Amino acid sequence: MNEGWLALMQQAFSLLLSLDPDVWSIISVSFSVSFAALIITLIPSIVLGFFLASYQFPGRWFVTNIVQTLQSIPTVVIGLLAYLLLTRNGPLGDLRWLFTQEGMILGQMMICAPVLIALSQAAFSSIDKRAYETSRTLGASWQRAIWTVCRELRVPLLLAVIAAFSRILTEVGCSMMVGGNILHHTRNIPTAIALETSKGDFAQAIALGLVLLILAIVINFAIGSLRGKAMPRSQ
Amino acid sequence: MTAKLTAKNVSINFKERKLFEFDNLSFCEGDVIYLQGDNGSGKSTLMKLIAGIIKPNSGDVIATGFAPKKWWQSNSLLGKAVYLHQHAYLFDGSVEYNLRYALPKTRFSPQELQARVAQAIESAQLGSLLKSDATDLSGGERQRLAIARAWITQPKLLMLDEPISNMDKQSQKLVLAMINILKQEGTGLLISSHQTCGLTALCQKHWHISEQKVVESSHIPSFEQSQEFHYVSAN
Ligand SMILES: Nc1ncnc2c1ncn2[C@@H]1O[C@H](COP(=O)(O)OP(=O)(O)OP(=O)(O)O)[C@@H](O)[C@H]1O
Ligand SMILES: [Mg+2]
Repeated sequence: MNEGWLALMQQAFSLLLSLDPDVWSIISVSFSVSFAALIITLIPSIVLGFFLASYQFPGRWFVTNIVQTLQSIPTVVIGLLAYLLLTRNGPLGDLRWLFTQEGMILGQMMICAPVLIALSQAAFSSIDKRAYETSRTLGASWQRAIWTVCRELRVPLLLAVIAAFSRILTEVGCSMMVGGNILHHTRNIPTAIALETSKGDFAQAIALGLVLLILAIVINFAIGSLRGKAMPRSQ
Repeated sequence: MTAKLTAKNVSINFKERKLFEFDNLSFCEGDVIYLQGDNGSGKSTLMKLIAGIIKPNSGDVIATGFAPKKWWQSNSLLGKAVYLHQHAYLFDGSVEYNLRYALPKTRFSPQELQARVAQAIESAQLGSLLKSDATDLSGGERQRLAIARAWITQPKLLMLDEPISNMDKQSQKLVLAMINILKQEGTGLLISSHQTCGLTALCQKHWHISEQKVVESSHIPSFEQSQEFHYVSAN
């Protein structure tokens, strides 16, 4: 058993290090799709989070709760919704995006946006109003004052971005349903792991799992150094 | 044209409770006004009103004599007069970052700016602290930094909310000297304090909030040395 494990790990590493084309195509699909979904949703979601945190308007309470709910819906359900939108007879059927990367991007955007909105709303709610007031009263334009506020909140905002990105990079349900798991086209890391494991081809599954593991380690240590020595203060 | 803020027929309530009201108050370049009132009488609120941070329940604050804004800039009251919070807000970053936050780049040449920054560092005695984190400063140092940051901008109108409440005699002297320079440069000053002190001796006008009215007069309550000692030792 132990030797079996060792052999598997060796195979997994050699797949990664020998730049196996299948493995690297899967990795690149994963990253390009998830990056695209993140980039498209990033700015609008953070702006919406800012408005939800800063302004009282009728329906704010309702929108906030809807966003919170969307955030906790399982990704297969979002996958189902995206599928229904993209299917031939669906409202977006004419786009022919089902089983394409575009379809996967759309599905992942629907997962990514609520996470980003909810977490950036939480970040903006925690700001000391004096940050904005001080900036404005010292003569800064409102654009610069908002930039200053974002700078003050860079740690929680970055955490929001990372949380959203890791959620879409690692989700299986939506990618499987909308993408269809087609090799070199829509097969990404999570769907490949699910497939290879069910086939009993553990080496490739472990190789891909390792990529996610290494990424998680790098990101978390990077956040750790960003937070620095931050300690609770009293002032 | 001299910069001027005029507040007319203002009243301020929080929920059902009336805080204060007045018919007409104006704050001009060249004015040095002492704002007096007990704790909770509304000194900070009045300053925030004039700074454009809060809106009155009725009445208006009108700005005249300021440079016209470009069409893409907001022409709000915020940013016309500089307001220094009672508890200064410092941006996340070094002391130097805070000092340089609001450099008036359009009004002064780089050499003049350099000289002004150097003079601010000198007068507030921040030289040895320049590289430290603003969040690590002591209460009195924070206050000094905030005043130096506003001083650099050479504002037309400056409001100082209890500027020396946390300070020892040495710091009070430094602040007094900086404020004297601004006075000579023609900056309009509005200084609040619940008690007379060295600063209020500079003032030419007196606004007093009592019994929910703001009363204007030209009589400055005299500042007795013994009172200052009492005040300093109480801090
Ligand atoms: N946003 C607000 N909502 C409700 N009440 C408020 C608000 N801001 C101020 N108040 C109330 O208004 C009163 C005046 O507050 P303000 O801070 O202006 O007093 P102050 O004269 O500056 O007092 P101090 O000398 O203690 O600084 C206080 O009783 C305070 O509770
Ligand atoms: Mg106050």
